[in-house]
Amino acid sequence: MHGYEIANSIQRISDDVLQVEEGSLYPALQRMLIKGWVTAKWGTTAGNRRARYYRLTAAGRRQLAVEMSQFERVIGAITRVIEAV
Amino acid sequence: MNWLREVARRLRMLVHRRQFDADLEEEMQLHLELRQQEHLESGMNADSARAAARRRFGNVTALREKSHIAWGWEWFENLVQDVGYGLRMLRKNPGFTSVSVLTLALGIGANTAIFSVINGVLLSPLPYKNPQQLVVRRGNDSPPNVRDIQRQARAFSEGGGINVQKMDYTGGTEPVQVRTGLVDAGFLETLGVQPMLGRIISPSEDMKGGPRLAVASYSFWQNFLGSDPHAVGKAIPLGGNTYTVIGVMPASFAPPAEHADVFVSMWAGDPGAAAERDVHFMHTYWRLQTGVALAQAQAEMAAIDRRLAEQYPAEEKERKTQLVPLHEWLVGDVRPALLVLFGAVGLVLLIACANFASLLMAREVARRQELVIRAALGAGRGRLIRKTLTESALLSVLGGVAGLLLAQWGTRMLLALRPEKLARLSGIHMDTRVLLFVLAVSVLTGVVFGMAPAWVAARGDVAEALNESGRSTTASAMGHRIRNILVTSELALALVLLVGAGLLIKGFSRLRSMNPGFNPANVMTMYLQLPATRYAEIPKQTQFRRELLARLNSLPGLQAAMVTDIPLGGNYVGHGFVIDGHPPVAVGGEPDVQTLSVMGDYFRVMQIPLRAGRDFTPLDREGQPLVAIVSEEVVREFFPHENPIGARIHWARETEPPQWMTVIGVVADVKHSGLDQPVDPAVYTPFPQSNEIWRSFMTLAIRTGAVSSGLVEEVKKQVWSLDSRIPVNDVHTMDELMAVSLAQQRFNMLLLGLFAALALVLAAVGIYGMMAYRVGQRMHEIGIHIALGAQRRDVLRLVLVDGAKLACFGIAIGIASAIALTRLMTSLLFEVKPTDPETFAVVVIVLAIVALAACYAPARRAMRVDPMVALRYE
Repeated sequence: MHGYEIANSIQRISDDVLQVEEGSLYPALQRMLIKGWVTAKWGTTAGNRRARYYRLTAAGRRQLAVEMSQFERVIGAITRVIEAV
Repeated sequence: MNWLREVARRLRMLVHRRQFDADLEEEMQLHLELRQQEHLESGMNADSARAAARRRFGNVTALREKSHIAWGWEWFENLVQDVGYGLRMLRKNPGFTSVSVLTLALGIGANTAIFSVINGVLLSPLPYKNPQQLVVRRGNDSPPNVRDIQRQARAFSEGGGINVQKMDYTGGTEPVQVRTGLVDAGFLETLGVQPMLGRIISPSEDMKGGPRLAVASYSFWQNFLGSDPHAVGKAIPLGGNTYTVIGVMPASFAPPAEHADVFVSMWAGDPGAAAERDVHFMHTYWRLQTGVALAQAQAEMAAIDRRLAEQYPAEEKERKTQLVPLHEWLVGDVRPALLVLFGAVGLVLLIACANFASLLMAREVARRQELVIRAALGAGRGRLIRKTLTESALLSVLGGVAGLLLAQWGTRMLLALRPEKLARLSGIHMDTRVLLFVLAVSVLTGVVFGMAPAWVAARGDVAEALNESGRSTTASAMGHRIRNILVTSELALALVLLVGAGLLIKGFSRLRSMNPGFNPANVMTMYLQLPATRYAEIPKQTQFRRELLARLNSLPGLQAAMVTDIPLGGNYVGHGFVIDGHPPVAVGGEPDVQTLSVMGDYFRVMQIPLRAGRDFTPLDREGQPLVAIVSEEVVREFFPHENPIGARIHWARETEPPQWMTVIGVVADVKHSGLDQPVDPAVYTPFPQSNEIWRSFMTLAIRTGAVSSGLVEEVKKQVWSLDSRIPVNDVHTMDELMAVSLAQQRFNMLLLGLFAALALVLAAVGIYGMMAYRVGQRMHEIGIHIALGAQRRDVLRLVLVDGAKLACFGIAIGIASAIALTRLMTSLLFEVKPTDPETFAVVVIVLAIVALAACYAPARRAMRVDPMVALRYE
């Protein structure tokens, strides 16, 4: 997926709940490129425009798992706190 | 491994960052256009579609920067930018740039030159195997003693000795004298340098009746063996005998303190001396066993000394072996001079740096508006400081490069000036350590001395500064104070250097005006040695001498005489002596005097005044009553209350019954060992009355109207007409020997003088710059003064008093520091106290005059101010 598609899919999948400032996607993508979590390759869009396509790497998937478990722990904790109130 | 790949990715980004920025730009553009397209399709008009897309995307520039910064190269790009900017600024201000670079180049160059000497002499290891294990015995020892120590001592792994004697080498077209190192097998072994060809003398060959073997030095191999790779095995005629070359040493090898062209076994070269217990003539080097401390070895030596004294009470009663680490022994003499010089160039560098900082500050103040605008546009203080520091570091690195060039030239000059003591240490050149030193010095200079100006420049309130509306009269008081301190310390440092130089100059002139005891003008000297094989009997030696002097004195316009050791020639022979009628002295405890044999009218030729009694005459010859002439120092020391004329003396431990000599005259003292050395008591005897065969050498002293090279050839011709196989060596004028004797002092004085002159110029430039700047700042005020009726004289005084205050302050601090610091150079001063008031007074006056002169030009400019112009001046 290229940047625009990523932004759109985030919006779509989250049912329009997550509407970030779209541009901040790009610095985030750069940081993931540095870490080696994603790779980028130039390709052509359906409209025959040049676009940079990002793909999750194996390292990226591992990192995702780490982040997910981290996230679930935090969410779980928050949920428990809220429920206890 | 992961971080390695990450670094690789970051580096790739750095290399392709243009492409990277373009890609990002394209990517974001695509995003915006697609979004805009979407809005258009949902029915918006073109303008609002674009606006909505942008709103949703955020600040494009900021995001682009954020993406860029994410890669972590911001510092690098800032640096590139700052350097580029700095270079542009330097190009635009050629005057400022060249003055700063030149100032720093002088400071750094002088430091580098001295540092490379220090590096070569003090810091580099000696060119021997494990040189830190090598120790040397002070004074000399005899071969049998050395052999005993080698056998008994546990503290040393190896040890050996050398004595250099001149021998004639007759293998070439002309007979020449070569310096022959008589060594034992331990000598070359101890130093641990492998021969380039062949081998060294082995212990089994180093014994009585051993073979005549020679190890050639590299230069001997080149000059006399034709660089023959098969030189090993060749026979060479040396000192009347034939030796077989068994090895050649590499070019890098030289004995620590001796000059030797060729090494032969002591037993082969001088079998007589090799067996004598009481002929102490071997200079010995020892290698400490691994893990043995010097103190341990010293203690063991003391025990051996005691044993030897018990065993040989007649010869070895007064043994007192002292061991010194070789490196310390070699450089101990020059270390104080080098350290003082290093300190002095350090001060020069400080002055240069102060000037540099002062220049930077003046410029930063002038550029204040620019900095303020930058700050107003959002440049952080850190970034501003970094920019200014980059500029000063650029300047100092440029200064360092220029300094390196200066140092290249300066080191060559130093080597040309160097005294004999440094000449042997050839390791003086630029190496990595020197280059690192320069780099460190220049970067530190730039950063440390750029810090104050940068800090002053970047501080302060933007709004307030903008309100100054371009008038720079209220330039930061802080900067002002710092510049005052800089100029004051420059003057103080310059004063310290001037005092140091002044003291050395005074000491040197004292030394120069020292009466050597003879008249060195128009005296030519040369050294001859009669080969022991062909002149084994004294009458034969005497006959040669008498005939040679007769032939030389028959030449027109010259007067020739001879002596065993010429003053300042570097040779000295001492001998114990006994005075008839004085209380007897224990054997071995007789007082030592210098012993000299003379022939011809020696005292007249050298113009050594006769103080009492009579001179030798041709009648004081063999078969006649033995006579001697003593120096005044002998009278002072040994005949304080009696008339020495007529007293009888004889050499200690000589033939029984003693051969008494009658003192017939007293001559003036001669500075034999150096102008800065005390005079030695000396006893002169006529050559023909000598009964010692070892006195087979002599130095001719020839006084002429004018010394010419033709004269030298004529003398050589006369020598060779008597015996064509006698080499003539060490041809010097007495003036040359005087100059050599002064060389170390001269070296110190010239260098410190040069540094002081440099310091004076730099300090003058510093105070001049300061005052010129000050006057510029006060133009307005001065204009008002004049408009209100102040006389030109008053204006002149106003400025001069301002400068004088700074100067007085600097001079006061300088005097205090000089008093504290010149103590460190006491050992370099000849008969001058480090707090010599005369020198201090002269230096203070010179510095005050220079400082005032430097203030005078700006003051005149202030005096000429047109009030109308000045009031409008900004």
